[in-house]
Amino acid sequence: MTAEPRVRSLDDPEILVHSPAAIIDAVPPYPPRTEREAEFYTLADGEMFINLGPQHPSTHGVLRVVLKLDGERVVDLDPVLGYLHRGVEKICENGDWHHAISNCDPLEYIASMFSEAMPVLVAEKLLDLDVPRRAEYIRVLAWELNRISSHALFIGWLALDLGGLTPILYGFIERDEIVEMLAALTGQKLLFNYLRIGGVNGDLNHEFLSRLGDWMGHAAKRIEDQMRLMNENEIFVGRTRGLGVLTRETALRTCVTGPPLRATGVPYDVRRAHPYSVYPELEFDIPTRTEGDSYARYLLHLEEIRQSIHIIDQVLHQMPDGPVMAKLPRLLRVPPGRAWVAFESPRGQYGAYGISDGTDQPFRLRIHDPSYFTLQAVGELVPGHLVADTMAIMASLDPIMGGIDK
Amino acid sequence: MTDTALARRLQERLGDQLLAPVGARHDTTEIWVGPGQLTSVMTTLHDDPDLRFELLADLAGVDTGGVLQVVYHLWSPLSPDWLRVICDGLPREDPRLPSVTFLWNGAEWAEREAWDMFGLIFEGNRDLRRIYMPPDYESFPLRKDFLMPDDASRSPGLGVRPMEEALPPADPARVPVLRSSAGAGSLWSGTGTQVVGPGPATPAISAGGDA
Amino acid sequence: MTALSRPWNRLSLAGKIILPLVAVLIALNITLVVLWMSGLLPFLVQAILDTLGANIAILRFLLAATIILLITVPVAFMNIFFEMKLIAFVNLRIGPNRIGPWGTLASVIHGLKVLAKEDFTPRGVDVPVFTLAPAVVYLASVMTLLVVPFAPGLHGYDMDIGLLYFFAISGLGVVGLMMAGWSSFNKYSLLGGLRAAAGMISYELPLILAVMGIVLLSGTLNLNTIVQNQSGSFLDWYIFQQPLGALIFFIAATAEGSRPPFDLTEADSEIVAGFATEYSGMRFGFFFFAEYVNMFILSAMTAVLFLGGWNAPLDLAPIANALGIATPIDIALDPGSMGPGLLWLVLLAPPLIVGGLTAVIWMLKSDWSIIVSAIVAFVLFNLLVGGGVMLLLAMGIDWVMGLVWFLGKTIGLSLFFVLMRATLPRVRIDQLMGFAWKWLVPAALVNIFVTAAAIVVLHEIGRPL
Repeated sequence: MTAEPRVRSLDDPEILVHSPAAIIDAVPPYPPRTEREAEFYTLADGEMFINLGPQHPSTHGVLRVVLKLDGERVVDLDPVLGYLHRGVEKICENGDWHHAISNCDPLEYIASMFSEAMPVLVAEKLLDLDVPRRAEYIRVLAWELNRISSHALFIGWLALDLGGLTPILYGFIERDEIVEMLAALTGQKLLFNYLRIGGVNGDLNHEFLSRLGDWMGHAAKRIEDQMRLMNENEIFVGRTRGLGVLTRETALRTCVTGPPLRATGVPYDVRRAHPYSVYPELEFDIPTRTEGDSYARYLLHLEEIRQSIHIIDQVLHQMPDGPVMAKLPRLLRVPPGRAWVAFESPRGQYGAYGISDGTDQPFRLRIHDPSYFTLQAVGELVPGHLVADTMAIMASLDPIMGGIDK
Repeated sequence: MTDTALARRLQERLGDQLLAPVGARHDTTEIWVGPGQLTSVMTTLHDDPDLRFELLADLAGVDTGGVLQVVYHLWSPLSPDWLRVICDGLPREDPRLPSVTFLWNGAEWAEREAWDMFGLIFEGNRDLRRIYMPPDYESFPLRKDFLMPDDASRSPGLGVRPMEEALPPADPARVPVLRSSAGAGSLWSGTGTQVVGPGPATPAISAGGDA
Repeated sequence: MTALSRPWNRLSLAGKIILPLVAVLIALNITLVVLWMSGLLPFLVQAILDTLGANIAILRFLLAATIILLITVPVAFMNIFFEMKLIAFVNLRIGPNRIGPWGTLASVIHGLKVLAKEDFTPRGVDVPVFTLAPAVVYLASVMTLLVVPFAPGLHGYDMDIGLLYFFAISGLGVVGLMMAGWSSFNKYSLLGGLRAAAGMISYELPLILAVMGIVLLSGTLNLNTIVQNQSGSFLDWYIFQQPLGALIFFIAATAEGSRPPFDLTEADSEIVAGFATEYSGMRFGFFFFAEYVNMFILSAMTAVLFLGGWNAPLDLAPIANALGIATPIDIALDPGSMGPGLLWLVLLAPPLIVGGLTAVIWMLKSDWSIIVSAIVAFVLFNLLVGGGVMLLLAMGIDWVMGLVWFLGKTIGLSLFFVLMRATLPRVRIDQLMGFAWKWLVPAALVNIFVTAAAIVVLHEIGRPL
């Protein structure tokens, strides 16, 4: 690099740089706020920044990650969030508890049956409400269906980020059937707005049950198809095995929950660790693996789909009769208090910390999204890997930006 | 269904560092600490082989209207209960408390979020900068005195609540249960309201039962 | 001056181009008439014809180059259509089905769409390099078509160093990709360009080494000769003498054409589109044209080198002779050559087929009377017979059959490329390089050694290949 720099910088045409690699577009236009930021945005010789997102095919939403690269090897990275931030917690404080359900709906837009459960469960805990058993069973049914549809997409996305075109569409077949099914139940395909404080919005109907029956007939076979397409695929296994290994200690330190944590051997699933709803009455396993790599996470998702199908089978057999809504006043004043609920979403432990001041509005509704903590793990997992592996690791952690950005 | 053994153990190990006796409701055991004791309490909770609270389930900032709080929820394989640690008594003007990133570096982003939303300063967090809001943003949106002028909240119970008016920071009618346990009269000792319990001595036994 | 410039300025761009051309045409016409009247024309024509005859090689080259440039357009459209349709089939989708019969024109419409899009040059790019890069990539792939033997006597240029020419020119493509990657002034493009350079240079080596076995066996670099050496039955194809070479060549060709699973240069889920990130409009289209033409060319080269090119897998002439059929041409011209036994079939066919067709049409179209059905059936029959006779006639010409076999093999291989894209994820850059250097290059060297040893040994024991 002894010659005069001759390439004009994109940021400032007056600045001449040596090569396109030296464009500084990823560097923020303000002085560093913390030591970490200052350290990150200082380039050593031969390093460059690359700006991944917010518009990038494999960031699963509107995530921006600034990668510091040495050649193709990632030295460090800095995720930049907030592109989808709506201030849901503030919005929830300004509406009543019922509004919070539909406000929380779009957080986890792949499995919104879970995110909309947050205000519901908090309010029920604060009210000390006994939800009708049929409603609990219907909730579990809807949750597990939604979990399968989310996991089916996860498998497809992982393959898509690795460059495989087909698995995503196989995943969408699965998801399409479940979504149609849930649309018959709830009236909507993406943001269901189905759970209510004290029950669910409607009883099971004939169309839902007939679709469910059709689907149960071939659900297991679909998973076999996915497995045949990917499990033994030399390239897929070569790309994911041993990649992004999360150890038990790192996972716990990073507050990772859900499949990434269970892939490290910690059998932490809120359905068993802190049983809620009717999960104690159902029989299912918490699959774990010990490798902690992307491939283990993938296999774990497959196994969880099987377990969910098993749960749905039991729920359908044990479904009691009765009402689906508890008797509640129209104007719901939630007694004052604090309550923490946690439940297992496809991406890990969804939590909500609600505070009521005795009015009909939440005083504070803290939303704990598992993806928010899982995404932090990329900071530990990615450095040292190649650019291509960044996508594989991020996809295998399965973040959903709706919940992360709140 | 609360875990009384856990409450006993906590009282025994940490009793002198807590602001109030260990409380419990539902499936959650609750302890209150001040920012000064937070580091040692959290270290004990994490490292003590009888407690083993190894998973930080959540870290939430709370604006009580008066003081700020930081609420931690922890999980241990040894107890069926959640543990809620409330770090109380953080003044609005300069809410400083130690970071827990030395135990859980996953708390880094949660603390960044609490800083972004509440202005809570976590000392020891290596990367405390705004995470959602733009870097030149100056307010803290989830504080109770941050009002959205165009979004007057409507509530059938209370009628139209005029959000343009600033709520008084220590309005006891609005925030009755969230007492500071730092001592009566320290911040907002809500005597005389219909929902406030007998005093700071039993802040966490049954928040709903106070009413 | 102003009197002329005003109407000139009013003209549209097309008018400004066409008007001078018309003027030139009129001038040429006048010149021709003058020449003819003066008697100079025959002399001039003779001189021109003599010059052309003396330089027939150049003429032939220009003609071939033009035709081959034009051929790439339908070839690319065909490949794109097959890719869309076959991937849709694998994905359990329907795929393009709106434009043209079975959606066949969808790729043409895509081409037109790309043409109609704005072609902009971002700020900061190295404009001349940025503009030239698609042309370099495109020409590097198209120019290799010049030596591909499509059918007996149907080839652009019969070069004695055809194989060498092919590798030399196709290696130029990487220069274009590097140009695009560097000049785009984008880090994704830079990564893509460098990946292209690293990957393609690594895979040139096994690609060339893999065909060395064939060069040893056939003793020539002329592709026409190589194809002729494989004539006979399909057992004479080089794939049976060089199975390892064929495998290495096909894998290396996949990487060379940057097709999945080796499409790291344009990995859309990693570096967005790699070198093509900053391109738009037809310049982007050129890259993708080049990719699909390249896919065709690599399939064609695999077919030529290993699958016998335009040779039919079986020689059916003896059976035809035994049945008394000399060639299809004879049947078409003289049905009597089929022999008395089969002739009655030909004589009975028209009434039987017309009757059958009438019945079918009458049953399908219940509102038609039987007479209308019979008329339609007769017309249909004539069309079918006409088509059949034309087909038989065409089959009699050896270059038509050669083209059919060649295209069949080539398209089959192209479909295999597409199937790989549909089913396989992408490899990583280190896996790609490791595979080339640790597996393909040693295997190719072993292949050369074994082939050479076999030739020598067979020669020594007196049974040369």
